[in-house]
Amino acid sequence: MSRLQGAIAATRFGLGARPGEIDAASSDPRGWLKAQVRPDAAVIPAGNLLSVKQVFEARIDAYQDMGPRGRPPGAPGQGPGQGNVTDEALRMVRQQVQRETRDGLAEEIDARSRHAASTPNSFAERWLRFWANHFTVAARNAQTIGLVGPFEREAIRPHVFGNFQTLLGAASFHPGMLVYLDATRSIGPSTQAAQRRDAGLNENLAREILELHTMGVGSGYSQQDIIEFAKALTGWTIGTPQLARLAGLGGGQGRQAQRAIRAAAQEMQQAVGETVFVEQLHEPGARTVLGKSYGGQAKQQAAAILDDIALHPATARHIATKLVRHFVADQPPPAAVAKIEAVWKKSNGHLGQVARAVVDLDEAWGEQSRKFKTPEELLVSASRAAGAEAAFGRDQRAVYTSLAQRPFSAPSPAGWPDDTASWSGADAIKKRLEWANAVSRRMVRAESPTEFLDQALGPLAGARTRQAVARAESAEQGFTLALMSPEFQRR
Amino acid sequence: MHALNRRSLLLAGCAASLISVAPSASAATKASQGRKIIVIILRGAMDGLAALPKTDDPDIRAHRAALIDAKAIPLSDGFALHSAMPQLAAMYKSGEAAFIPAIAGPYRERSHFEAQDLLECGGVKTVSDDGWLNRALQKAPDAYAAVSIGPAQPLILRGAAKNTSSWSPAVLPEASDDTLNRLMELYEGDPVLKASLSSALGADAVAGGMDRQGMGGARGGPGQFLPQLTAAGKFLAQPDGPEIAVVSLEGWDTHAGQNGALQQRFTALDAGLKALKDTLGETWKKTAIVAISEFGRTVRINGAQGTDHGTGGLAILAGGAIKGGRIHGDWPSLKSSALFENRDLMPTVEARSVFKGLLRDQLGWAANDLNGPVFPDSAAVKAMDGLVKA
Repeated sequence: MSRLQGAIAATRFGLGARPGEIDAASSDPRGWLKAQVRPDAAVIPAGNLLSVKQVFEARIDAYQDMGPRGRPPGAPGQGPGQGNVTDEALRMVRQQVQRETRDGLAEEIDARSRHAASTPNSFAERWLRFWANHFTVAARNAQTIGLVGPFEREAIRPHVFGNFQTLLGAASFHPGMLVYLDATRSIGPSTQAAQRRDAGLNENLAREILELHTMGVGSGYSQQDIIEFAKALTGWTIGTPQLARLAGLGGGQGRQAQRAIRAAAQEMQQAVGETVFVEQLHEPGARTVLGKSYGGQAKQQAAAILDDIALHPATARHIATKLVRHFVADQPPPAAVAKIEAVWKKSNGHLGQVARAVVDLDEAWGEQSRKFKTPEELLVSASRAAGAEAAFGRDQRAVYTSLAQRPFSAPSPAGWPDDTASWSGADAIKKRLEWANAVSRRMVRAESPTEFLDQALGPLAGARTRQAVARAESAEQGFTLALMSPEFQRR
Repeated sequence: MHALNRRSLLLAGCAASLISVAPSASAATKASQGRKIIVIILRGAMDGLAALPKTDDPDIRAHRAALIDAKAIPLSDGFALHSAMPQLAAMYKSGEAAFIPAIAGPYRERSHFEAQDLLECGGVKTVSDDGWLNRALQKAPDAYAAVSIGPAQPLILRGAAKNTSSWSPAVLPEASDDTLNRLMELYEGDPVLKASLSSALGADAVAGGMDRQGMGGARGGPGQFLPQLTAAGKFLAQPDGPEIAVVSLEGWDTHAGQNGALQQRFTALDAGLKALKDTLGETWKKTAIVAISEFGRTVRINGAQGTDHGTGGLAILAGGAIKGGRIHGDWPSLKSSALFENRDLMPTVEARSVFKGLLRDQLGWAANDLNGPVFPDSAAVKAMDGLVKA
């Protein structure tokens, strides 16, 4: 019985058992999980990976000698100017930057996969992945591709066992989120900067924070609340050398004004790639969101609203439901949701306490595995059970792409779906089978398929699966059947 | 060539969930008489006013001068089609395409995800676990089947009816027939995996000769439009192929710099529709296509040369069975006072009336079923007349 609980700890709460892990977790399964709830348990060393600041600096360096025409794509600033750079040269630099950011993303995916395959703290890593998906920033174009990795490492990993307020603030104001949800393009409509540029408000970030990150759709906020919140968020943007001029920081004309612009530009140079507040882009005045007025200092407005909606009861309900869906079943049992919601409210959204409460949900410890693995979960669990080389082969990205779930590439701000129906269609199963077949060819080693099955699933493997794997006509076929078994496809 | 290979013998054991291996009747004697419906979901909310600007509306320039294509191809009634879609314009002029410029479902909020779910499940307020096309299959006048193109089964086809399948090409080596056999046995106690595997094997048999290149990326993007639409055409053009295909084309959420993004997408959509026509061959004459988004976009340009989530949007109708060369529904005008919440195009046509009209007139569904189980509580939404040729 206790080995079954150990197997559940390693597969349902963790990312799948590595050899020996089920036995290690079996003496005290809940304690084994709770020991992973530490403030820094999801932090990984940056190694050679770039920080978001370095990503922006590298982009600006590449364009440095290009004059006003060499404006990085997506950076706020002036339109194409009259520089003497040829189109050819500009195109070369753009291609170079694109290549480098693509390579950077590949390194991020590698590092993330390697960590997931080997970490002993796989509950902490699953918890991190839940929150990274909750606050999706996806690689969808040249601007976002370099930001997704730094976003997860800088805004999400350090905060997943702290207060939700802190996590929400870190995610909402990170340059990755500001770019992904168009906040860098949003300018207070009545500011001079907006009138000069014929630019204005963009609601995207405000809407998605309310709809996806906190309260949830249909939970009582209105279109007017979105607009007000979007106005409060104006002014928050990313430092670039051009920003000083854009915001009209010096104001006025003449030599003195020019000097002021230059000084401000220098200051901005220091803040390249950092989130900055530019009051000249901020919609002035008090804002009313969900019936509460936010006056005070412009710079504090958005943070104050975020702090309040983080603690809104609808947020507790929305996220408790998502957590129970992730750890218990596609149809979250209301009693389990209520338990998590209560702990959330009592602890003001302390995610460490919430994580421990999730471990203590009796509903999550049933013998029947009800959660169908997403492709990424399947690949990670296979890499933990069989080794990353066997699970991925030579072309890791091709495998992710074929199974329709490339890391950092969720199709929308809502993130990847977390239910069986989204991932179990006919074609998805066919792709999984083709993958399993390729993996089994790479798994020729001392271990037999039955031993592999026992190490990977322990008592979770049912009699029918044990028999099918034992009777396979070859070791290769046995591995394929084990990987494709209903038990290994679920957690 | 073997008359019966091992794989088709294997399939015989699970014929209930196959889309084409065990047809109940040939196309000629089936109630469908070879007629087809293709539903294209343009996910992310296509900007209908950019695709089909009403160029003679006096307010259009004030709202969005920078977003109007100067080279748009004039059609009729003051409408013009974006110049990236010349082949669709040709279809309109030859009576094989029509447009509904101000359409929406009953949903009036602006969440993509909720709106897509409602569009697909056919509900008014609450999202159900099954889609309206799946419920329609359960009430079909004959043994109809449906296929979706892409690795995930979309909500519109999910549900109790099992004569659905999904398909996208393989990029990895295939498992042996013996392994498939054993796996089918292993899935005996697992209805979800059993249904998906047997359905996948059936779909694969149909697509066998299909070009497997060019569909490398499993998810969205305009590069996928043409191969996805071509694949749909191949499925429907098979003798005894399914009656219905669903294709999801992603990437229409143009909050910023939309002119370039849309140029690319319209070009890909135009080429995809032409390829679909070519692939369907003779079947094109009996095909009705509807392409629709979850909602439209704001009438006014936003601060980033893009548009935000709106309400009324555009539906594109195409195919040889479509009564073409016409614009359906009233034009609500772009006067600020005529806009929904002073920001969005006011819808004048209900999306469900179009779906109902197509199901009834193209493939013979009974009105009672459409008002009841297929689109619950929708008796007030009348099926639209005159969408397809008699």
